[in-house]
Amino acid sequence: MSERLATELGPKQPPVPPPTASQASAPGRSRHWEGPTYYGRPQVKAAPFNNWVVGGYIFLGGLAGAAALLAAVADRARGPEAAPTVRRGRALSMLAPTLGAGLLIYDLHTPRRFYNMLRVAKPTSPMSIGTWILMSFSGFSILGAAAAAASRWLPRLSFLRRTAKAAQLPAAVTGAGMTTYTAALLSATSTPLWAAAPRSMAVRFGSSSLAAGAAALSMGDTGRVGRTLDKVALLALAADLAATCVSHNTYRRTGVAPALEGDWGKVEKLGVTGLGTLLPMGLYAASLARGRSPALSTLAGIATLAGSAMLRVSTMAAGDESANRPDVSFRFNQPQNLPKRPSRWFRR
Amino acid sequence: MDMPARAAEESASRLDRMIPNESELTAGVRVEPGKSYGFFTDTTLCIGCKACEVACKEWNNLPADNIGLTGQSYDNTGALSANTWRHVNFIEKAGTCGLRENTQSPFQSGWLMMSDVCKHCHNAPCLEACPTGALFRTEFDTVVVQQDICNGCGYCVPACPFGVVDLSELDGKAHKCTLCYDRLKGGLEPACAKSCPTDSIQFGELEDLQGRAEKRVAQLHELGASNAYLYGAPGSPGATGDLGHLNAFFLLTDRPETYNLPAAPTRAANRVAPSLGTGLAAVAGLALAAFALLSGRD
Repeated sequence: MSERLATELGPKQPPVPPPTASQASAPGRSRHWEGPTYYGRPQVKAAPFNNWVVGGYIFLGGLAGAAALLAAVADRARGPEAAPTVRRGRALSMLAPTLGAGLLIYDLHTPRRFYNMLRVAKPTSPMSIGTWILMSFSGFSILGAAAAAASRWLPRLSFLRRTAKAAQLPAAVTGAGMTTYTAALLSATSTPLWAAAPRSMAVRFGSSSLAAGAAALSMGDTGRVGRTLDKVALLALAADLAATCVSHNTYRRTGVAPALEGDWGKVEKLGVTGLGTLLPMGLYAASLARGRSPALSTLAGIATLAGSAMLRVSTMAAGDESANRPDVSFRFNQPQNLPKRPSRWFRR
Repeated sequence: MDMPARAAEESASRLDRMIPNESELTAGVRVEPGKSYGFFTDTTLCIGCKACEVACKEWNNLPADNIGLTGQSYDNTGALSANTWRHVNFIEKAGTCGLRENTQSPFQSGWLMMSDVCKHCHNAPCLEACPTGALFRTEFDTVVVQQDICNGCGYCVPACPFGVVDLSELDGKAHKCTLCYDRLKGGLEPACAKSCPTDSIQFGELEDLQGRAEKRVAQLHELGASNAYLYGAPGSPGATGDLGHLNAFFLLTDRPETYNLPAAPTRAANRVAPSLGTGLAAVAGLALAAFALLSGRD
């Protein structure tokens, strides 16, 4: 170990020391936390994820899963009329096994060992659960897309069409997992903001994914399926908004709300809830009131997709802030925030 | 080769063989697979010499983290990290606001020092989060990262409720205290406990350590240090939220936050089922609503 390297290994941004050492444990240094901190140093470590890369994967994976799920629903409900939607759903579902998986491997710190994820299956680890959800979703969606593409070249081979159809249901079920497991992944950590509201965050991620999926499928679709998908997107956005209200209420109750006072908190409130949820809700409502205006509907779709992506990135970044602030993590880790009943899961 | 001069001098052991079960001589305990081992760190005995930090770095061949002064009392190490598996906290209690207190409570008075380490939790969140199985529970009931399997996903880092596990920028793998797994295999006491000159760090079989710790708390209470309590022993602060007991536990004399410890940490894996269940139910509900809307005549 050369000396030069050892110096570079020091903390990137050393915390600002208090004026005198004895003030380290002096109380009342934050208006959210009356108790002591250790020189203002973080109590837990923030996740070493690249928020744009992993946030991008969570968005793309959710979009792909929701598209597969909604395409299967449209096919069951509408049959041949939904054929363009099904085709688009197959194309969108390819985002997860290609770009999405690539982003995940890129974020590993030893990427050449990515296959070690396939060594085990662990119900206590949402990352392991997610690995297998992604693997099976990729398998079913690739199978469906490949069979559908091949059946256009070889229309006489009817088993190709049947294969594409048969892959739809398992792709839809695993697709539902793709929309949600990422919220469980963030919640099953000690990062205060993510751990504070496991239930409502999962509803947010799931409904935001479905809104993004419906928005992407309905864009440019002038038919009856497209109009109905606009309604689905509106409904999912409403569910997202309700879950957002519940989340913020929980953040206030458990004391992690100060983590949303920073820049990323503003992005979460104004960008995600304002421009990414309320605005497209209004646009979709206006579009539907006029018997569907393609321009308004497309605009709403773009806002929904951007809001869905920013929800993930801002949640990750604000989570990092909550981990880096000892006042937030100390306030969160108080006995009154302990679960009321001991869990029945995973006894050892 | 970058080898310290002293290491070159001592390139070979002067003993012709290892002392069998050396830990019986140094810690009074024989290390046997299948039993639970841990640390009891009694902060009232800590003198802040950092011998544990040095012994850990030397045995485990860990590079320095921070060259320089932090200005935070005698703590120039900062925090536990990928390269620092023992970290001595320094807290100066007396003399706040420029005034020196003229009364001192027994034991450690205005100075609190505490050698922090991985807690080797009973239900370890890092181990439960690890998607590759690199983190595993050893035959000594400790938690260790297998360096040949870890792929540096980093999920164990936010999973830890104590901020212990860290990714190394040098090799892209997660690192933390192994409770000297290699030494235990060879019947040796872990380096930090062996080097501790005041026996503030005690290594032993867990039940034995817990009994010793209870007695020490009772003794301190008798001597007037009524604020002494255990952190991480069964049923005490630190062993909350389904974490179970901590194999490395502490005797503290101030509230946990003073030592940068959470008052009521929780087991992260318990949030998997509520989160996945609620999320999937919401998605299923929305999918059903979508089916109803799409099959509508309109």
